Amino acid sequence: MADRRRVNGPGGSSLPPVYDDGELDAVSRRQRAPDAIRPLYLKTGVTPSASGSAYLEIEPREGEYGSGMKLACTVHGPRSLPRSAPFSPYMVLSTHVKFAPFATKQRRGYLRDSSEKDLSTHLETALRGALIADRWPKSGVDVVVTIIEGESTRQDAVERRVEEWDVMNVLGGCITVASAAIADAGIDCVDTVSGGVAALVAGKDGDETSIVLDPVALEHDSILAACCVAYLPNRDEITNLWFKGRLPSAASYNHQSLVSRAVQASKGTHGLISASLSEVIGNSQN
Amino acid sequence: MAQQTLLSPAELAYLHSSLSLSPPIRPDGRTSKQFRPLTAETGILPGTNGSARVCLSDGTEAIVGVKAEIEKTVDPLGGEHYQEYVKSASGVGGGDAEADRSAARGEWLEMTVEIPGLRDDDAGTVFLAELLREALLADGEFAKKLWINRRFHWRLYLDILLISPPLSYPLPLLSLTTHLALLATRLPRLKSEGDEDPMFDDDWEAAPFLYPREGATTGPRPSITLLVVAVGDSILFDPSKEELAVADSALAVSLCEVRTQREQGGMEVDSGRELRLVSMRTIDPPSRLTPPGVPSTANLAASGTSDTTQQKQQQRAEEHPQEGVWKAPLGGTRFAVLDSIMQAVLEKGGVADEVLDGLEGVDLA
Repeated sequence: MADRRRVNGPGGSSLPPVYDDGELDAVSRRQRAPDAIRPLYLKTGVTPSASGSAYLEIEPREGEYGSGMKLACTVHGPRSLPRSAPFSPYMVLSTHVKFAPFATKQRRGYLRDSSEKDLSTHLETALRGALIADRWPKSGVDVVVTIIEGESTRQDAVERRVEEWDVMNVLGGCITVASAAIADAGIDCVDTVSGGVAALVAGKDGDETSIVLDPVALEHDSILAACCVAYLPNRDEITNLWFKGRLPSAASYNHQSLVSRAVQASKGTHGLISASLSEVIGNSQN
Repeated sequence: MAQQTLLSPAELAYLHSSLSLSPPIRPDGRTSKQFRPLTAETGILPGTNGSARVCLSDGTEAIVGVKAEIEKTVDPLGGEHYQEYVKSASGVGGGDAEADRSAARGEWLEMTVEIPGLRDDDAGTVFLAELLREALLADGEFAKKLWINRRFHWRLYLDILLISPPLSYPLPLLSLTTHLALLATRLPRLKSEGDEDPMFDDDWEAAPFLYPREGATTGPRPSITLLVVAVGDSILFDPSKEELAVADSALAVSLCEVRTQREQGGMEVDSGRELRLVSMRTIDPPSRLTPPGVPSTANLAASGTSDTTQQKQQQRAEEHPQEGVWKAPLGGTRFAVLDSIMQAVLEKGGVADEVLDGLEGVDLA
């Protein structure tokens, strides 16, 4: 029996047309050098009501309008734990990563899905190594990262199924922006942790492979493996490592070079964080 | 994730120092590369396409059931003509099954992990499920096995159940059970051809295995994930709960065995084994949440007075950890340590080979 209580849509669905504009391919090649990361914009102290906050924007690809990544992070605390919580000799860190519903081509719901929860766990591991948690007993800190605009807003990303590789870039951005926000909140850390991504991509003829820093999945024919690290430059330590993909069998040393290239990328991002933070200090002194 | 260990700072310091010896002395007397003994069986659930049960010697036990359903392939653009669109775009002619198979998607594998005492939307549980899922899909061949024709595919539900309470971080246990369940999985034999509505042989005996058995089998096998911890300079495999509580860093390494054919002297064919690293993740070691010890020089209850010199001493104790006084690890892991973990895992004839040999001995029902 037909449902008479609701207004249902017509039975047959229709689709907006998708045009195949062949010129795109020439533009969407990688223009940067393999060891160059995209320009970033980082600003701390954007949310007055939070104890620390930061905003990160990654430059969109060339010849494209507003398709870079935009992330905002707020840090609340350290504040006392609720009475019901058990005693903790350390600061209790909780991280939330959430895509805005409009951040990607496919709409995200308001509830966090499994990939977002997975990202929060990665971020927690990355930050926990950097925090000096025993200076803040019995207190809690909430780190909330919102991805306002993701990278794969375009049709191509859905078509070519490269979303899984974009997650790495999102995590790298999350680590960087959260680290800046924690520094803005004045929470003690051993070092500012920064995120970096490197990927092993197949070349044009499909045979030659090369390692690129800060990869954009759409710019390459196929990504074989990718690695995201959270790195403490002054201590030369890695707090979080995430590697996935398949390496060509011949070169077994490849995973090491991939990790060290990712560390290179995060060193680049670290320069940006310290520049942004010292700018804030310079402004407040004047 | 793992239950909070109830060890005092003194016990933690003792464990840490005995584990950092060379060779390390582990509480249960194992060598650094030895696994806990386990019992395994497959085909225990008749209602599934494949199932397995693994029981570790410490009493933790897991069951995995694999169920498959047929599903109509909806393309991301929502239209009926998507396949033709892709074909015309990539210039591939009709009937090329290999090219069609590349349309397989990782989403066709659904995985849930259930751990007693934890909510199923707990971040740690989701992390485990994603880790195992990523390791299975990373070789890029798994999803292709679920492809039937251009209009239909299998949707595989992989449900992992930990029956016992999580006594230690259950990752290796769940991964080995999943590995066995997938090896025992069989899908009905396809009778229809081309892009027809799929029709299957109803003789279960004729159903082929998802991962082909004996004989000349090549290609990747389901991945296994090993948990490795570093304590001081020593690297320990398959850590127990107490060892994890003092670990400086923990790394989950997923490996995939690729069988290759190798000609050996004339007609004899020997299938060699090649290990491939497919995924790696650091795991937040629970040692960061252990309570710190207080050295007796800085202990007010022991000396009775508190003057400035003592406060200075206390500060010094904060900065320089003393021998025998437990302090939770701070900072990350050096690349050299991570690298030596990777080397130890990928080593030829090492732990991974040993585990795979052991799993091969399991009778697949």
